[in-house]
Amino acid sequence: MKLKYTLLVAALSSTALHAEVNISGFASITGGQVLSGSGVPQFGLEPTFLADYPIVSAYKEDFSLSPESLIGLQVSGDLGEGLSVTGQIVARGANDYDAEFEWAYVSYDINDSWTLQAGKKRLPLFYYSDFYDVGYAYVWMRAPADNYTWQIFNYEGVNLLYSGSIGDWGVTANVYTGREDDTENKLLSEFFFQTPTREIWEDILGGVVQLSYDWLELRFTHMRYTNKRFRNGEPEMWNGSDSRDGKFYGLAANADFGNVFILSEFNRLDLDGDLDTYMISAGYRFDSITPYIMYSNFEQKDGDDPEKHDTRAVGVRWDFHPSAAFKVQYDKVEDDSTALAVAGDSESLTLGIDLVF
Amino acid sequence: MKKLIGVVLLSSALNAFAGVSVVVHPSNDSSFDTSTIKRIFTGKEKSFSNGNKAIPVSQEAGNAVTDEFNNKALSKSSAQLKAYWSKLIFTGKGTPPKEVSNDAEVLKMVSANPDTIGFVSSDAVTDAVKVVQQY
Repeated sequence: MKLKYTLLVAALSSTALHAEVNISGFASITGGQVLSGSGVPQFGLEPTFLADYPIVSAYKEDFSLSPESLIGLQVSGDLGEGLSVTGQIVARGANDYDAEFEWAYVSYDINDSWTLQAGKKRLPLFYYSDFYDVGYAYVWMRAPADNYTWQIFNYEGVNLLYSGSIGDWGVTANVYTGREDDTENKLLSEFFFQTPTREIWEDILGGVVQLSYDWLELRFTHMRYTNKRFRNGEPEMWNGSDSRDGKFYGLAANADFGNVFILSEFNRLDLDGDLDTYMISAGYRFDSITPYIMYSNFEQKDGDDPEKHDTRAVGVRWDFHPSAAFKVQYDKVEDDSTALAVAGDSESLTLGIDLVF
Repeated sequence: MKKLIGVVLLSSALNAFAGVSVVVHPSNDSSFDTSTIKRIFTGKEKSFSNGNKAIPVSQEAGNAVTDEFNNKALSKSSAQLKAYWSKLIFTGKGTPPKEVSNDAEVLKMVSANPDTIGFVSSDAVTDAVKVVQQY
């Protein structure tokens, strides 16, 4: 699969002899540790802070730079007349810095308002999903782990993008369809089931509408998909069926008054019952220093011992350089479930530098 | 000699308070207000009100006029603006305006291409361009 993308990018960039090629990139060098934590004794898990679910960025009681550090390179070839090709390669500490193509797509500007894209892209479920890796682009150390829990974060398919305005409101929207077949899903295989697990999300169909007006930004999204799963090659059965349908709903609202800003996100995944997540955050910009607070929550609505956890975080971002920011964040996680415990309670400290180039 | 240095220093100090002018080609008869300018320079508006394609031209990040424009016209610090564009660049949703190195280059581009819009220190403005907004 990797080879296929490499060839695709190579083919498209070499056929256009006069293509304008842009290389840009981003990196995060982040370290941290659990200060104190319960772990999950019933699963034999030591004190752990799961900072990023899909990547399995797990901090332990020993300081480590591996869980969240990453470097990404984006190569974009502009072939002219609205056609371009983009590849993004990311190497993560959590994967021993093995570089992988995470994005590889062709983009065609139909006109000023409409763009058609095809290939491998980030699944734009949440507000921060598609720039999750670019820490420099947001204030916190990471988008709240309690919300960004879903094991599939890329897809292969087609995306139609609209960008325009209505009066003083900026409007962007997109509709996308595709599938993802993750032969050895990291979160399920390495963390939750500890057995090789193939996770399939197919017939993905989703839409996003984003409205912005001066200080206010609103984002609405809906996505549906069909889930299939194989553990050790055996199909997982849900109520006698080897597939189940999921429906995702999301609303994000951000208000930015210059110095003061408030960020929020509310999401529901209906997958054999409702799984609700939300987060709220606020900060204040003192010139180049931005302290912030954040609260995020995950709650499964059904069952006697549902999955339920939340995080309180406080941190500071310092823009000490035109292209780099230093961040330090304290996180306190409470995990209230027994049978569906994720990583137990924990308090941790992470710090690091995010940069773009 | 000392006096001359004094005059030079004084005039460069005054330059810092010259203000920013947003300039377009003299033939561009579109209407502009602060909101339109903000949207064009943040990639949210891609055409002028006369229907022509709008090509914003920015200046290098180190220039004083760039900081002043970002603060006054876009209400963003240079770091905030960089974070804003990083989000768009790495999600394939937009590319920032081309950057040129000084006022003279902006004037050269804008006077030559009716689709461009740029900003310069107000005391650098010439007859070759039309001022549509001052900050």
